[in-house]
Amino acid sequence: MSALPDGDGPLSPTRSMTARQMARWRFTRNPSAMIGAFIVLSVFVAAIFAPWLAPSPESAGSFVDFRNRHAPPSWDNPMGTDNVGRDILSRVLYGYRVSLGLVVGVLGVAVPLGVVLGLCAGYFGGWIETGIMRFTDVMLALPPLAMALAITAVLSPNLVNAMIAITLLWWTWHTRLIYRIVKAQMNEDYVEAAKVAGATHRHILFRELLPNCIPAIAVKSSLDAGFVILFGASLSFLGLGIQPPTPDLGTMVATGSEYMPDMWWQAVMPGLAILYAILGFNLLGDGLRDMLDVEL
Amino acid sequence: MSAPLLEVADLTIGFRAYGTQRRILHGVSLTVGEGERVSLIGQSGSGKTVTMRTIIGTLPMPPGVVEGGAIRYDGRSLLDLSRQERNRLKGTGISIILQDPMLSFNPVLTVGRQMDDIVRFADIREGRTRPRAERRAHIVETLWKVQLPEGDRILGSYPMMLSGGMRQRVLIGMALLNKPRLLIADEPGTALDVTTQAEILALLNRLVAEEGLSLLLITHNLGVVREMADRVYVMEKGRIVEEGTRATVFANPVHPYTRRLMEAVPPLYGLGVRTVTNLRESRAPAIEADGAGKAFLTRGGWFNQVTGRFQAVNDVSLKIMPGDIFGIAGESGSGKTTLAKMMLGLIKPTSGILEVEGRAVSALAGTEEFRKLIQIVYQNPGSSLNPRRTVADQLAVPLKFTGHETAGIGRRIGELLEMVDLPADYANMYPHELSGGQKQRVAIARALSVRPRILVLDEPTSALDVLVQSTVIDLLHRLREELDLTYVFISHDLSLMRNFCNRVAVMLRGEVVEQGAVAEIFDAPRHPYTRALLSAIPVISEQEEALKPQVTKQERAAVLATSTALGGH
Repeated sequence: MSALPDGDGPLSPTRSMTARQMARWRFTRNPSAMIGAFIVLSVFVAAIFAPWLAPSPESAGSFVDFRNRHAPPSWDNPMGTDNVGRDILSRVLYGYRVSLGLVVGVLGVAVPLGVVLGLCAGYFGGWIETGIMRFTDVMLALPPLAMALAITAVLSPNLVNAMIAITLLWWTWHTRLIYRIVKAQMNEDYVEAAKVAGATHRHILFRELLPNCIPAIAVKSSLDAGFVILFGASLSFLGLGIQPPTPDLGTMVATGSEYMPDMWWQAVMPGLAILYAILGFNLLGDGLRDMLDVEL
Repeated sequence: MSAPLLEVADLTIGFRAYGTQRRILHGVSLTVGEGERVSLIGQSGSGKTVTMRTIIGTLPMPPGVVEGGAIRYDGRSLLDLSRQERNRLKGTGISIILQDPMLSFNPVLTVGRQMDDIVRFADIREGRTRPRAERRAHIVETLWKVQLPEGDRILGSYPMMLSGGMRQRVLIGMALLNKPRLLIADEPGTALDVTTQAEILALLNRLVAEEGLSLLLITHNLGVVREMADRVYVMEKGRIVEEGTRATVFANPVHPYTRRLMEAVPPLYGLGVRTVTNLRESRAPAIEADGAGKAFLTRGGWFNQVTGRFQAVNDVSLKIMPGDIFGIAGESGSGKTTLAKMMLGLIKPTSGILEVEGRAVSALAGTEEFRKLIQIVYQNPGSSLNPRRTVADQLAVPLKFTGHETAGIGRRIGELLEMVDLPADYANMYPHELSGGQKQRVAIARALSVRPRILVLDEPTSALDVLVQSTVIDLLHRLREELDLTYVFISHDLSLMRNFCNRVAVMLRGEVVEQGAVAEIFDAPRHPYTRALLSAIPVISEQEEALKPQVTKQERAAVLATSTALGGH
């Protein structure tokens, strides 16, 4: 026992570590967070280096090889081939490009939009609050899949329109999250102190309040990424997302499901790929939540 | 002497966290005899709460680890008892009164239900059954003991329907329900106003005497200890540094830490009192209020119509001269903070006139000129500093928006840190890396950054330990002299005001009941409320006690009639 450090500071056991060190410690001690980070990293690597990693890059296009169709998983085609003989592994790797593109596109617009509206609603109050929050409630009341189907059906189904449809539905969650955080922060004296110091609304919103929302935004976005992939795949599965021959995981599951159960790999392999990516983002999000100590 | 009721012997506790273990308690030993009142004194972080929680068995383990020592209650070793045996002692052997009367209740259950649960579960543990009516009779009887005669009404109420003083009484009643032998009180009444606190302390003393209880009181307030203890233990950094009877420790403290603690407590009366004077001569007041008032309206219903009216500040007239340290004293809800916010232009008065340096606040508020005139330091630096911005970022805000040239901001931040005695490299730190006193220094530096002439101090030291408080007060004195500042000091701590201010105004329910020079008000208080307030302050020497105004029960009841009434307002 005598070998232990003899702490004689105040009761905080963490005094010897900075917050950053502590957060990193918590993250690295959390196995699910580390696994999540590894999976997300591997998905990004797969998507970025798909042309080099794919055993047959030409499978990503409208390539056909009828001699090889419906081949089960083997050394040459680790995930088997599809109904026109394309290598499924190669298509999955390219499919991640589409999925991640969708995530970046949707969250890149929906998060800033939702955050700014949430900040304004929470900070200004009054009619601005009522207007933004009631509109958000209305948007949240619409069934998301039906809405997305309607939008893509009207606009013609492709990647960009799928992105627009999902974005239109997604910002509301961030607005509500940020609104709640800002409402709580408004009780803190530092907001009033900034007003007394003469700070502008813009300063208070983006320099004082926003930094206090960042941890929650990071966690929420990470968890969201998984759901966006799933949502995009659902749209494609229903034929309203990305159109062939662009490789998309949802479309691949849809096409492959026609050959179930005998040629199971055609639907199961892309399905597992979707599962893998979503699992990674969710584990990462949970890890971030523990690390940054936020409640959603 | 027979064996003590509670004996803590050489208790050593460590905390394991983030891969390291630190020792929090270093061989703490203390005893509480049958019928004895013992106080454990210590500042925040001294380990007094860890000691208490280990005794009652609520210290989370892990991260807590008992490295050595023993706790004996009535001859039995508590640390070796099984969970079940331990639980049987709860309430029946050792009972606890927690600090915060609001947080200790479940807000959605009636007081009666919560008290009944305590009796019922104790009965189950004891293997008894009593009908509900019998339990209720027992509860009502216990409430009588804590001076709550309207038992039935209280049992039907929800916690929020009771005033702070009543909640604290109910809490004491809960602790007494199962007739414990040892009562542990963790800072009782500190969350309450001083007049209510005095009543609670008197009640506890009476109960201990009448019921033959032993009391272990955990507190940082030396004044409370003087009224409540036979023997005291002084704790610093997880060690007992001094112990003895109350009389010897107070009359003749041996350990340097105890001495520093005693010296840091501002005296209310006697030779140690420091009287502050304002040497500046000027005829024009810095702040002048003439009949200023503020009424808050509550709105509701279908058409958002006015449904209620609350007069927070009523017809306040006062003159604060340049160079004054003007104290505004009052208990919670007296309107003192509302008045301060009106001076800062954050709340608009609904009646009367409020002028700063001869010009109406309503016309000046929001202008750069006004910000260079008057600034504020808040009560809790943990809230008034943004947790996610560095010290430098926060100090730069008032400069940036008051037309300071960008190039000079860095240099000015250095100057400001030096002014409040902080090292220059603190500029890049975040608030959580600083201690409470250091944070408050940053908040003071921020308020001073634009060189205001008037500073409103809203209880600037009430969140700090008494040793830290005295250093912050010294800093404020020095800054006032160096920078020719005028202070408006809002506080409920009259001992501190006696030594810090040159003039005071006492507020009660929105009105100023008495104002004048500090020495006059404290030596010859005229208004019964001021007298009641002064007599309720716990002081640390017999000499001060003798000099306090004597107030009869009837007198006190007359001014404080509403303070303990059901519903509180």
